[in-house]
Amino acid sequence: MKHMLLMSFFILAFTYVAIAQQDPCSFTISGKVLDAESKQPVPYATVKVSDTEKYDLTNEDGEFTISGLCSDTNTLIISCLGYSNATTDHHHEHGSHPHFFLTQKVTGLAEVTIEAQKSKEKGTETISQVTLTKADIASDPTQSLAAALADEQGVTFTSAGANVQLPVIHGLYGNRILILNNGLKHGFQNWGSDHAPEIDITSANRITVIKGASGVRFGPEALGGAVIVESNPLNLNNPFFGNVATGYQTNGQGYNANMEFGSGSSNWSYFLNGNYTRIGDREAPDYNLTNSGKEEKSFGLGVLHHREHWDFNIRYSFVDQKLALLRTSIASSPGAFIRAINADEPIIINPFSYDINQPNQTTQHHLAKAEVNWWYSDEGKLTLRGGVQLNQRDEFDVRRNAELPIIDLDLITYDYQLEWKHPKWCGLDGLVGVQYFSQNNDNNPGTGTTPFIPNYNTDRFSAFAIESLKFGANTLEAGLRFDFESNDVRGRETNQDIFRDDYSFTNLTASLGYVRQLSDNATFRTNFGTAWRTPNMAELFSFGQHGFKNTFGLLRFTDENGQLSTDEVIPLDESNVDPERGYKLINEFQSNKNGNQHNLTVYTHYIENYIFDRPIGVFGTIRGPMPAFIYDQANALFLGMDYSWRKELTNNISGTFGFSYLYSRNIGESEPLINQPPVATSLEFQWDQGGFWVFDGSKWAIRPSYTFQQFQAPRTVTPEELVNGTAIITPDSEIFDFIDAPEGYFLLDLSWNFEWKNLSGGIAVNNLLNTSYRDYLNEMRYFADEPGRNILFTLNYSFNAKK
Amino acid sequence: MKTIDYLKNLKLIAFLFAALTIVSCSNDDDVPPEENEVEVITDVTLVFTNDADATDVVRASAQDPDGEGIQELMVEDEITLSADTQYTLTFEIFNNLETPGEDIGEEIVDEDDEHQIFFSFTADAFDSPLGNGNIDNASDPINYNDEDSDSQDGSGNPVGLNTTWTTPSTGTTGGTFTVKLQHQPDIKTGTTGANDGDTDFDLTFVLNIQ
Repeated sequence: MKHMLLMSFFILAFTYVAIAQQDPCSFTISGKVLDAESKQPVPYATVKVSDTEKYDLTNEDGEFTISGLCSDTNTLIISCLGYSNATTDHHHEHGSHPHFFLTQKVTGLAEVTIEAQKSKEKGTETISQVTLTKADIASDPTQSLAAALADEQGVTFTSAGANVQLPVIHGLYGNRILILNNGLKHGFQNWGSDHAPEIDITSANRITVIKGASGVRFGPEALGGAVIVESNPLNLNNPFFGNVATGYQTNGQGYNANMEFGSGSSNWSYFLNGNYTRIGDREAPDYNLTNSGKEEKSFGLGVLHHREHWDFNIRYSFVDQKLALLRTSIASSPGAFIRAINADEPIIINPFSYDINQPNQTTQHHLAKAEVNWWYSDEGKLTLRGGVQLNQRDEFDVRRNAELPIIDLDLITYDYQLEWKHPKWCGLDGLVGVQYFSQNNDNNPGTGTTPFIPNYNTDRFSAFAIESLKFGANTLEAGLRFDFESNDVRGRETNQDIFRDDYSFTNLTASLGYVRQLSDNATFRTNFGTAWRTPNMAELFSFGQHGFKNTFGLLRFTDENGQLSTDEVIPLDESNVDPERGYKLINEFQSNKNGNQHNLTVYTHYIENYIFDRPIGVFGTIRGPMPAFIYDQANALFLGMDYSWRKELTNNISGTFGFSYLYSRNIGESEPLINQPPVATSLEFQWDQGGFWVFDGSKWAIRPSYTFQQFQAPRTVTPEELVNGTAIITPDSEIFDFIDAPEGYFLLDLSWNFEWKNLSGGIAVNNLLNTSYRDYLNEMRYFADEPGRNILFTLNYSFNAKK
Repeated sequence: MKTIDYLKNLKLIAFLFAALTIVSCSNDDDVPPEENEVEVITDVTLVFTNDADATDVVRASAQDPDGEGIQELMVEDEITLSADTQYTLTFEIFNNLETPGEDIGEEIVDEDDEHQIFFSFTADAFDSPLGNGNIDNASDPINYNDEDSDSQDGSGNPVGLNTTWTTPSTGTTGGTFTVKLQHQPDIKTGTTGANDGDTDFDLTFVLNIQ
């Protein structure tokens, strides 16, 4: 009876698929081993299956086949004279013919663990994407997720100071970039440019940035792209490993410690990790950035239980953040805002401190996830994934009751996904899935102010199918998705009257992509995707003062002949607010020949009803003139390109040139948009010195970069002109900004990484020349310079128990 | 044998998802709690009372009727004082978004060690205080009649809810009179000025003396 009760929670689909009767030892692995740098096949490499006597040598084309295996999940040890050993986890997910990459020992650090090239997420195979590995992340453990991605072409970040940074892909950010945290949409207060995802990058094993509309696979928020964060892969047959790291940075006197350990047997695997980071006030070249420190604690664990054809996986992660926002950004009086943005130096500069005072944000984010994978046949797989997230956020402003949070929200997110990777059918390879997603946002009492964001419940039911077809050197990929979303909103007006709104959306999303392997060394891919996105709660309902500005959502103001009024809340159905619809065409050309690696991405993105916030003026309050922003909609066009060219200059020196360009415009009104990334270019030289003195490995990198002034910035209307009435602004007026876009700037970064026995580490110098500059995408550009020179020391001890 | 394995797998699935399923069935319909708005001041009235004649009262008001809303502040009156007269200035400070209106003046009296009102006016518009007020320089003379109970530096420091003003015999037309209430939690001392702490109101009126 007890069993019956538990079983009532099953998804019934499982019971309908019969298990194929199989000889337990009939699995076969085949693959191809390639040189990691030249991508040429590596012949005569030994490929051995861990814990067995099975092995094979690769042939002239680098190919190998091992049959008679008793498990569908294996750890492969690949070794070849002159190359570092690679240990890699093989799974069905790597595709029927995975490629493995070996790094040449002479050019690489001694102990390099190479992962099998993981196949791209279904539905994104034809979209340009980049992946960061653990090594890329470990070089700067104190940075934010967004900053870690920003070296990639076409990716940058928008921020509210040094702590709150969120990724920007091809000019889009916030709710248009889906953050997938271990398979679940990261459920957080994702609005404005002052809410960053609470993800600790030291716990990440891989981070993938998908640069195109991938809404079919991931849902409406992936209109502008997706960032996929994966923690430890939970390999089986993996001896006990541990990793302890610490770091210190001079700017902000920050320190960091993190550790991870885990182990995998033939049917169990686990990992545990933790991190602590504390940074004090950062320093711009000429002054202290008062109240810009942060404190972050995180903890994560995962357990995998493997049974024949089945994987059971649970993960839990917890992040606790306390992030300071620049004190000078909240002027002592609204009038002082004008003084602050005109001043060369911030109005408020105090001596260095670790203290985090108002304004600041504190967040606790819990994520718990369970996942079951069932390989019911050689090529078919069912995945059931469920997750719950609790995001508790308090934000504090400088105000009369500063000790009370001005925003105090609890957001609970549930996510259930059932996916079926079906066996090849008429040449089609595909993934079909259904999802249920729900969010419940509640305001907690005791803020002493009208809620900035209302209470709401969102429920979304989705179904999608993605199919790909390979013929010769071509792959065609098509996807279709259906979403139904309903929202129930309860908020309060300033007189504490209750308002309610109920609305729902139904939508169909489609994508079509094509990849062609032009030759052994060149690939062309193209993808056309449609996407939609419902306006989020902040865009619709935000009301009043938060931070240095007053913001009014799309439903919170009316415009009568240019006269703005915020007296009533308009129901969505009666408003002229429409969801965003995006159409993105993205093409990528990659070639790798004779030591030259070119990557060119060109894209066109048209977004109907693009939602953005813009300054609308300075209005009089009892406290003095206050800057006001409204949300607005426009038909926007984004045209851009990312280009990178890596050249092997010698055997161990390479140079990489990168350039990204974005043209964006409100084509409805024929005017520039605001807060769009400026043109940026960079050059990076890497010297792989190999071993010297006591070191087993040593790598140097120097990276000059130049970011241009945003030449497409909107016109400037100063607050003085607004206060004294020489400039009259209505919601129909051309977009403007309070100050000019900051000038272009040149930065020089330098780094050295070493390896010595089990120790590795490095010294990285950012902004070596201590350049004073302001970043156009940083909201704090109105008030202060970016941090100056930072020297970061990291030390990493890792060990692998020998069996 | 297979069947046993199968059941075992299903039991594991149930174990993993049961907890999640149970908690997720709570769809609520709760409304954000009603907040007692502590931030907003909608109405400030300056009350000048003739010390020699309590029925001679000059009132000047400023009003921001929608609080955080976008509507512009309205300074409704000019301050028109008689020449050669001594006045006491007091304030009426309200949040009228709530019904009944909330007297913020009381809150300021309760937190007098955190508040001070600063003044500025057309230079030499008054016989006493002389000069142009203490917004530009906190040590400039203002005739404060009140002091707080326990400021940071221990001594009673001025608050400014009650001040004395003496008009000269010469008139002023179209001058200015600015009142600025600063909130200075944990920092108020005898020397803190009009740019320390946060501004609760900052209002400029037209000043006439005739």
